[in-house]
Amino acid sequence: MKPKVAFFDFASCEGCQLQVVNLEEKILDLVDIVEVVSFREAMKEHSDGYDIAFIEGSIMRPMDEERLKKIRSHAKLLVALGACACIGGVNKLRNKWPVADVKAEVYGTAALDGNPYFDVLPTRAVDEVVAVDAHVPGCPINRNEFAKTVTSLAFGRKPRLPNYPVCVECKKNENVCLFERGQFCLGPITRAGCNSICPTNGEGCDGCRGFLEDLRVNAMKDVLRRHNVSMDQMLKRFNLYNYRREGY
Amino acid sequence: MKTVHPDGWKAFVDRLIAEPGLDVIGVKEKGSRFVFAPLESANELRLDYDVTVLPPKKELLPPNEDLLLFDISKPFDVLAAHDEQKKVLIGVHPYDLIAINMMDEIYLGAHVDDHYEVRRRNTIIIASDIINIPQKAFCGSLGTHVVEKGYDLLVTQLDDRYVVEEGTPAGAELLAKFADAKESSRYDIERVRKLREDLPSRYQRQLHVDKYKWSEILEENYAHPIWDENARKCLTCGTCTLVCPTCVCYDVHDEVELDLERGKRTRTWDGCLLKEFTLVGSGEIFRETPTNRYRHRYYRKGMYLPMRYGFVACVGCGRCATQCLADIADPLEVMNVLASSSMEDKKKLPIPEVKVHGVKQELLVPKAANILYKEPMSDIDTLYRIALDSGEALGHRPGQFIELSIFGIGEAPISISSSPGSGPEFELLVRKIGDVTSKLDTLAIGDKVGIRGPFGNGFNVEALKGRNLLYIGGGCGLAPLRSLINYTLENRSEYKDITILYGCKDPTALLFKNDLESWGRMDGVDYKVTVDGCKSGDCWQGNVGVITTLIPGVDIDPETTMAIVVGPPVMYKYVIRELKQKGLPDENIIVSLERRMKCGVGKCGHCQINGVYVCLEGPVFNYADIKELPEAF
Repeated sequence: MKPKVAFFDFASCEGCQLQVVNLEEKILDLVDIVEVVSFREAMKEHSDGYDIAFIEGSIMRPMDEERLKKIRSHAKLLVALGACACIGGVNKLRNKWPVADVKAEVYGTAALDGNPYFDVLPTRAVDEVVAVDAHVPGCPINRNEFAKTVTSLAFGRKPRLPNYPVCVECKKNENVCLFERGQFCLGPITRAGCNSICPTNGEGCDGCRGFLEDLRVNAMKDVLRRHNVSMDQMLKRFNLYNYRREGY
Repeated sequence: MKTVHPDGWKAFVDRLIAEPGLDVIGVKEKGSRFVFAPLESANELRLDYDVTVLPPKKELLPPNEDLLLFDISKPFDVLAAHDEQKKVLIGVHPYDLIAINMMDEIYLGAHVDDHYEVRRRNTIIIASDIINIPQKAFCGSLGTHVVEKGYDLLVTQLDDRYVVEEGTPAGAELLAKFADAKESSRYDIERVRKLREDLPSRYQRQLHVDKYKWSEILEENYAHPIWDENARKCLTCGTCTLVCPTCVCYDVHDEVELDLERGKRTRTWDGCLLKEFTLVGSGEIFRETPTNRYRHRYYRKGMYLPMRYGFVACVGCGRCATQCLADIADPLEVMNVLASSSMEDKKKLPIPEVKVHGVKQELLVPKAANILYKEPMSDIDTLYRIALDSGEALGHRPGQFIELSIFGIGEAPISISSSPGSGPEFELLVRKIGDVTSKLDTLAIGDKVGIRGPFGNGFNVEALKGRNLLYIGGGCGLAPLRSLINYTLENRSEYKDITILYGCKDPTALLFKNDLESWGRMDGVDYKVTVDGCKSGDCWQGNVGVITTLIPGVDIDPETTMAIVVGPPVMYKYVIRELKQKGLPDENIIVSLERRMKCGVGKCGHCQINGVYVCLEGPVFNYADIKELPEAF
C-alpha cells in the first residue's frame, strides 16, 4: 500500500514546494512509491485522507494554528519543509517589533481589528506548535535531501540530518575558505546537508538550514572578531534566518 | 637520473594527457591557490606550487566513494564497486608522498582494503621536489622535505631543465615510452642535491623538539592547560582533519534511489573532531567534550600512530595551521609550547600487544545469510538464529562480533551469542535501538541479511583453563558473555568453579530465560540473578538491587578466580570497584567494551579508546592492560 502524501503551505513563498516540482523526471519515481493526494501548487485534486503531511511555511495566526493541528491529527507523519517551517526563518525577523507596530507599518490605518486574517501572533516554526516527525531544512530545500527523506519514510526509517557544520562539505569540495577571501560565512555553526552550495559559488553561508544544536557560538564570535566583522554585521547575518536563536 | 629539457618535459606531459585510458591529474591553479585536478594541457601544470588546498590523498581515498552497489528488490544482490581507472598523479610533494606511504601501511597492512588497493595499484605517482614553501609549513624540522620511496618518478624543476629520478620499473618504462630523456650530467645531479640541501633553512618556522620525542612529551602532558585553552576556541568544524594528508578515518552510509530498488553503500571522510564521531545507537558519545576531541588528534598523530606503526603522523605541510579559522590547529605551535612548559606528569597510554586475527574475505563485501529462527526475549530484545548461505561455519571464537548489513539501511556490529559449537548456525541477541536493529526487527524467517566477520579478539579461553570463573553480566551484556559461558560449560572439565551473576533492569528484561533456568539447575554452577527494580505485580521473588549487590555475597579465592564482566558502559566502574575490594588482582579481571564500529578492522577510526582499537585489540580486554586509559571507562 503506497503511503498517501499531502502538501500544505502556511506563511511561505511556496519555493520549497516548487523545488519538489523541480525534481522533474524523478517525480515519476516519487509517485511510484507514494500517492500524492493534495498538492495545491501542482494539482487541483484534494483529499483529507493522507498518511504523510509536508508543511511549508511558518505559523502566524490562530487560524493557522487550528488548521495545523487538524492536519497533525489526520497525518501519521508530519514533515516540516524548508526554513520557514523548520526554524521560522526570515519570517521570524518580524518578532523584533510589537505586532501593532508591524501592522501599522504595513497596512497603515486600515481597519483590521477583529479580522481573523490579520490576527497575527509572533511567528512560530511548525515544531513550536505541533510534534514534527522529520525536518527538511534550507531556504529553499535541497531536492536530493527531500528525495532522501521521502525514501527513508517509505522505507520505514527515521530520516537523519547531519549534525556537523557546512565546513565539512566545503572542505570536501576543496573550496578555498571565504574567510581567506575577506568575506564572512556562517558555515562553521550551520547544519550541513546543502553540499555547501553558497560558499562553493562564492557567497558566505547565511545559516538558512539552521544553526547546529551544539553550536560553538563563542568560538565563532572570536573568529568573526578576528576577521574584523563588526557587531552590527554579525547580528544582521546571525538573525536573518536564526532570529534570537542564541538570545542576542 | 635523467635530464629533460623544458620543451621535452611539456611534450612528455602532453603525451600522457593524450594517451587514451589514462587520467592525468596534476597541480594547477584555482584562484590564488593550487589544487590537484585533471590536466587538459601541460601548460596548466604548476610544479612551482607551494601547497594544494587538499592533499593528493583525495585521489587514493576520495572524499566520497562507492563501496557496494545493491538491489534491494532482490533477496540478496550486491557487488563491490571498484575504481580501476588508470591514473597518473603529477606534482606530489615529498611530504604528501610520505603521507601516502603512511596511508599505504594502514590500508594495505594486516587487512588489505580492496577498494584502496585497486586504486593504488592503478595510480602512477610522479613526485616533485619543493620549489616554493608556504608560510606555515615546517617540513624541514621533520625531515619530510625529501622522500626516498613511494614514487614511480621524482622530478626536480630547475631554472632551465627538469631532472627526473626513476623510482620504479613502471616509472622508468613511462619515462622511456613518453619522454626524450638523456642521462643527467654530474652538474645536474649536484644542482638537485643542492636544492634539497638548502630546503630546511628556507622554512620560516622551526620545531624546538625532535619529532621522535613527541611521544614522550605527549605522555607527560595529558593534563596540560593548553588542551582546554585551545579547545575553548575550537569550532569542532573538522577542517583540520579534512585537509590533513595523514588523516584517513571514514564513515559509511547506505542510500537508496527513489525507485526503492537500486542503492549503494558509500564511504566518506570523517574526522575525530566532529561531535558524532563516536556516537553509538544508544545515543552515547564516547569523546564528548571539545577538549577531549581536540587533544585526541595530537595524540593520534604524535603518540598512538607512532606506537602502532613506527611513524610520526605529521608531515609538516601546514594545511591545518593555515586553514583553521580559530588558529589553534598548528602542531608546531602546540608541540613547541608543550616542550617548553612541560608538566612532566607521566601518563602511559599503552596499546595491548595482541596477535592480529586474520579476516579471510573481501573486507567490505557482506556474505549472504538466512534468518532461520527468531524469538522475542523482551520488549526490545530478539534472538536470531542465522546461517551463512554458503553453509560454511562462521568460525568464530567466543567474544567476537560480526557486522550485520541490511542494504539500504546500513550495518551494525553485533556480538555473537552462541558458542562456536558445531555447524553453521550462530545466534545473535539484538536490541532494537537504531536504524539497522529496528529494521531487522521487521524481518521474518527466511529473509536475508549480510554478514561480515567475525571480528575482534574474542575471549582468551586458554588463559581461563584451570581457573575458577566468576561471570558478571549486566543487561544485554549477557549476549556476548553467553557465548563464553556455554563454551566453558561444554568443556566443563577444563575449568574449576563457575559462578554466574546476572542483573538487569526488571523481570521483563531477563534474557535467555531457558539458559538461566538450566544454569540455575546445574551442579557445579552457582547462579544468582537480580533486578534493579520490580513493579508490583511482576511476580518476582528473587533479589532486588543492582548487580553490585550480588558481589559481596560471593565466596571466591581472588588469586585463582578470573572475573569476566560484560555490561553497559556505566556498570564497569562499580563492578570493578567491588571486585577490587574482594582482592582480585587487576589481571584477573576481563571486560568486553563496545564503541562505534564501521569497518571492524582498525581503519575507519571510530572505535578508538585513546590509541587502542576496540575492534583489533578488543573488544575483550584484560583490565590491567587498559585501566590507565582515560577514555576506557
